[in-house]
Amino acid sequence: MVRFENVGMRYGPGPEILRDVSFVLEAGSFTFLTGPSGAGKTTLLKLLYLAEPPSRGLITLFGTDLATASRHLFPALRRRIGVVFQDFRLLDHLSAFDNVALPLRLSGVRIEDFRQDVEEILTWVGLGSRMQARPSTLSGGEQQRVAIARAVVARPDLLIADEPTGNVDSDMGQRLLRLFFELNRLGTTVLIATHDRGLIATGRSQEMRLVDGRLVTMPTVRP
Amino acid sequence: MRLVLRAQRKSVLPREAGAAPLDIVIAIMAFLAALSLCAVLIAQRTAQDWRRGLAGKLTVQVLPPAQGPTQPALARETRAAVRVLETTPGIFSAHELSEAKTERLVEPWLGKGALVADLPLPRLVDASVVPGMRVDLAALRRRLKKVAPDGYVDDHRHWLARLSRLADTIMWSAYGVLGLIAIATTATAAFATRAGLAAHHDIVELLHQMGAHGSFIASAFDRHYLRTAFSASLVGALLAVILFIVAGGLEYVGLKPMAHLPPLALGMGQLAWLALIPLAGGAIAWATARLSVFAALRNIY
Ligand SMILES: Nc1ncnc2c1ncn2[C@@H]1O[C@H](COP(=O)(O)OP(=O)(O)O)[C@@H](O)[C@H]1O
Ligand SMILES: [Mg+2]
Repeated sequence: MVRFENVGMRYGPGPEILRDVSFVLEAGSFTFLTGPSGAGKTTLLKLLYLAEPPSRGLITLFGTDLATASRHLFPALRRRIGVVFQDFRLLDHLSAFDNVALPLRLSGVRIEDFRQDVEEILTWVGLGSRMQARPSTLSGGEQQRVAIARAVVARPDLLIADEPTGNVDSDMGQRLLRLFFELNRLGTTVLIATHDRGLIATGRSQEMRLVDGRLVTMPTVRP
Repeated sequence: MRLVLRAQRKSVLPREAGAAPLDIVIAIMAFLAALSLCAVLIAQRTAQDWRRGLAGKLTVQVLPPAQGPTQPALARETRAAVRVLETTPGIFSAHELSEAKTERLVEPWLGKGALVADLPLPRLVDASVVPGMRVDLAALRRRLKKVAPDGYVDDHRHWLARLSRLADTIMWSAYGVLGLIAIATTATAAFATRAGLAAHHDIVELLHQMGAHGSFIASAFDRHYLRTAFSASLVGALLAVILFIVAGGLEYVGLKPMAHLPPLALGMGQLAWLALIPLAGGAIAWATARLSVFAALRNIY
């Protein structure tokens, strides 16, 4: 599903943020990417969700070699990925409902067919009563849940979440994690970056640890 | 159901609050474009009127003879000229302009009264040409020379050519102004879309990240600018239409709003051309917005 080979990354002329990163994520796997703040977790995820090109190395995504693939294929690849951004990136002129509906609109689904999906997912993340609220009127934790709902609503093949439980209490954190596991059970490959090692104790998952731009622990299945 | 449809159509862009300057600039551009277009229409119509008015006319001018008694010679030569004209193929009527009429013609230059009465004024003979017929001027001049040696034929061609050139100059200048306005509008729209893109860069980037095609993102923008430019240029063009309708109305009741100008009244058929302006304004903004979005997206991975 995902393969990194000797991937290096630097922003412009800056220092190398990622160095010789190589790993494979199997389809259907559930992986935590851990590491201290500033280790390069967000940068690695950006390469994966096609926000930045790597400075060197090979990335294969859904069987497509990104270096040689035509750019015209990228929108279709991106639509197969759900992303929970560290800073949420919700559109404030749209309601929570419309924010969550956005990926479905992009894939051309008619609103009659997705209204129920959107309402269901918003109810699951505990926002059933706030569907028409503007993101700016929601708390940080509520915004994070809208962002998560938006990432999962289209049942992506790959879900990437950057510190998705950073703004919620541990009860809600566990609840959201259950949502990710549920999605994984339905076939989505999941990759979650977190510096909260307490989070990763739950469920069947593997851990990949990044320190100072290098992978120090390869994905290994935990019991 | 209606609510559902509205949700479907809801733009991914917020409504612009600070777009007023663009609206105003485009409305002014449209107003100026409408004026230029009207100038084209008026020049075209005036040139046509002149041509129609003069093309069917011939004038023979009989000058006072250099020597001998003036009035008898003038009267004799003028009568002879009328007869020659009447028997010329292609001319269906010829008549002498009355002395009073001739005096009125020279009044702006010479004034009236005793002085003029004593002056030997040339006599004028007006002839109407059968529409579509060409008169053999050389033959006419030869015949005239024999019976009225002081008669000169003027077929106004020289005036017509000058007036046509004038009308053409006005028209091409107006087209030039229209072109400049189109360029300025394009530049303004490009500037505005680029500013709009910068203001909504986060949205563009997010949609791009979610896998939206360039055309989806572009259509959100181009539709917005199409609407803005269309309504703003509609306002500008409507102002011009009102202006010309008012001018036409004043002329109708006998007031001439602007001296030295041909009639400003335009028919509804001519004013209909102004409908092109909002269409062009909208199209320019639409295309510019689209191109700006695609240019911006090329800079994102
Ligand atoms: N857009 C950027 N331009 C330049 N440097 C960046 C950029 N984003 C992140 N960095 C740098 O890359 C390093 C790793 O950042 P990041 O990937 O966000 O780490 P983490 O998510 O693990 O906290 C940091 O030193 C950060 O300053
Ligand atoms: Mg980070």
